[in-house]
Amino acid sequence: MLHYAKIWAASARYSITRTLMFRGDFFVWSLVELFWMSVNILTITIIYEHTHAIAGWTKYQMVLLVGTSMLIQRFLMGFFWSSIFEMGRNIRSGNFDFYLAQPGNVMFMATTRKLDPDSLLNSLVAAAVVIYAARQLGLDPSAVQIALYALMVLCGVVIHYSILVLSISLAFWLTSAQGIEGSYFTLTEFSRLPRAAFTGIATQILFVWLLPVVMVTNVPASLLVQGFDLTLSAWLFGSALVWFAAAIFVFNRGLRRYTSASS
Amino acid sequence: MFAIFNKYRQVFLTGLQSNIVYRFNFAVRGFFSLFHLAAVVILWSAASLGGSGGIGGFSLAQTITYFITLLILQFFISAFNEDYQISEEIRNGLINQFLLKPINYFAYRFSIFVAARLVSGLVVIVPLLFALPVLREYLAFPHDCRVLLFGLPAMAMSAVIQFSIAYCFGLLSFWFLEIQGFVILSMALETLLGGQMFPLDLLPEWAYAIARCLPFYYQMYFPAAIFTGRLTDPTLIFQGYGIQVAWVIALLLVNQVLWSRGLRRHTAVGG
Repeated sequence: MLHYAKIWAASARYSITRTLMFRGDFFVWSLVELFWMSVNILTITIIYEHTHAIAGWTKYQMVLLVGTSMLIQRFLMGFFWSSIFEMGRNIRSGNFDFYLAQPGNVMFMATTRKLDPDSLLNSLVAAAVVIYAARQLGLDPSAVQIALYALMVLCGVVIHYSILVLSISLAFWLTSAQGIEGSYFTLTEFSRLPRAAFTGIATQILFVWLLPVVMVTNVPASLLVQGFDLTLSAWLFGSALVWFAAAIFVFNRGLRRYTSASS
Repeated sequence: MFAIFNKYRQVFLTGLQSNIVYRFNFAVRGFFSLFHLAAVVILWSAASLGGSGGIGGFSLAQTITYFITLLILQFFISAFNEDYQISEEIRNGLINQFLLKPINYFAYRFSIFVAARLVSGLVVIVPLLFALPVLREYLAFPHDCRVLLFGLPAMAMSAVIQFSIAYCFGLLSFWFLEIQGFVILSMALETLLGGQMFPLDLLPEWAYAIARCLPFYYQMYFPAAIFTGRLTDPTLIFQGYGIQVAWVIALLLVNQVLWSRGLRRHTAVGG
């Protein structure tokens, strides 16, 4: 465990040094993310100028939900995004060999190599949005509730991480995993919606239960707004485990097929 | 005059052929847009239920029709990756060949853009037809063919604005190695002020008045609002045309300046 922590710290150091070398890039990308987050919050504000509730959620409850979605996404982007997408390209080009020669679990090495400090910085903004919304709602969560919220957010990050690793691992079979990036962003649109808004059976099965993108944000947000629900939280925790196990399984199966591509 | 037209007609035809190759990519992109549409329907249906049964004076069907129109327009007139293509050609030195030939780079690129959008626009109709049984109950287009008469010129000018903005960003490659940051930053602005997140008439009056002066409004929202009957007052439409024409001219001028300034910095290496 300590061994992996050391490896991760070395990667983090490398990423931060790299960011310091390209300060302009860091600035532009931080701004890009900040802009996109503002676009989402502004949209909520405008919609609530014309309605009282969305599926029973008031304005600030909705801001809290969107903030939670942002928080999970920033963590995912900050810690894993670049590495996972590079993995897809490396599998195709054969540069993936590099990870096989490294002193650690291949999936760990390949998916934690790069950090994006701009996303990590913006996760503070996302957290601020959640805190602001909670204050506007007059919520006063206990320490246990906050810890449970953090745990549920962590489960959300694990689920998103697993879905991404799983989809990119398809590159072992298909060679190219291009286009997944765009489809992933389409999925995140659903994560900003309250679960009760999914009234159709097909959409409920697909987005709420099969692909838990909706639950990933709804469970932590409801935990703060409506209080702890053991069944839902346990379900999210369980599905994080299942998705993670599936990602490990598919990744390792794919790894067996990897034949490198160098000449 | 005819010779010039013929030259770009050939470019257009070649563009048509090379884009037909990507018909499946466009179709897949179209199918994924249906997911976006699903999210839109879920969100606005819930919002409309929480309000007085409509949004900002328009029914739920009118609101969804607006988003469907936006989706179709997107495939017909919006710039997909033209900025990156231009940037690539500058960075790789591929534009050198155009500097030696009697060809206008803007006109050349625009001809390809028109061909590409014609293909993607026609292809997106396929996934929409698949979704028609579900979408039908949400369709509420105005029964007045004047909307086409007013909407089509606005749509044509929107295409020019869309392309010109992408072209500007592409030309930034004369100065910057990486333009992705700028492009995504402006995409956030376009998404918001072009009316892709919500119809712009839902904005507070003062914000709407500002948005009406910006080019983003004329990139997508203006024709969409005419087509869907959100903008019906002829005075306002003609005012809109005026501002749109002004933006077209301004952007073409900026393009010209960027091109001539950029070329001064450009160094063509190799033969």
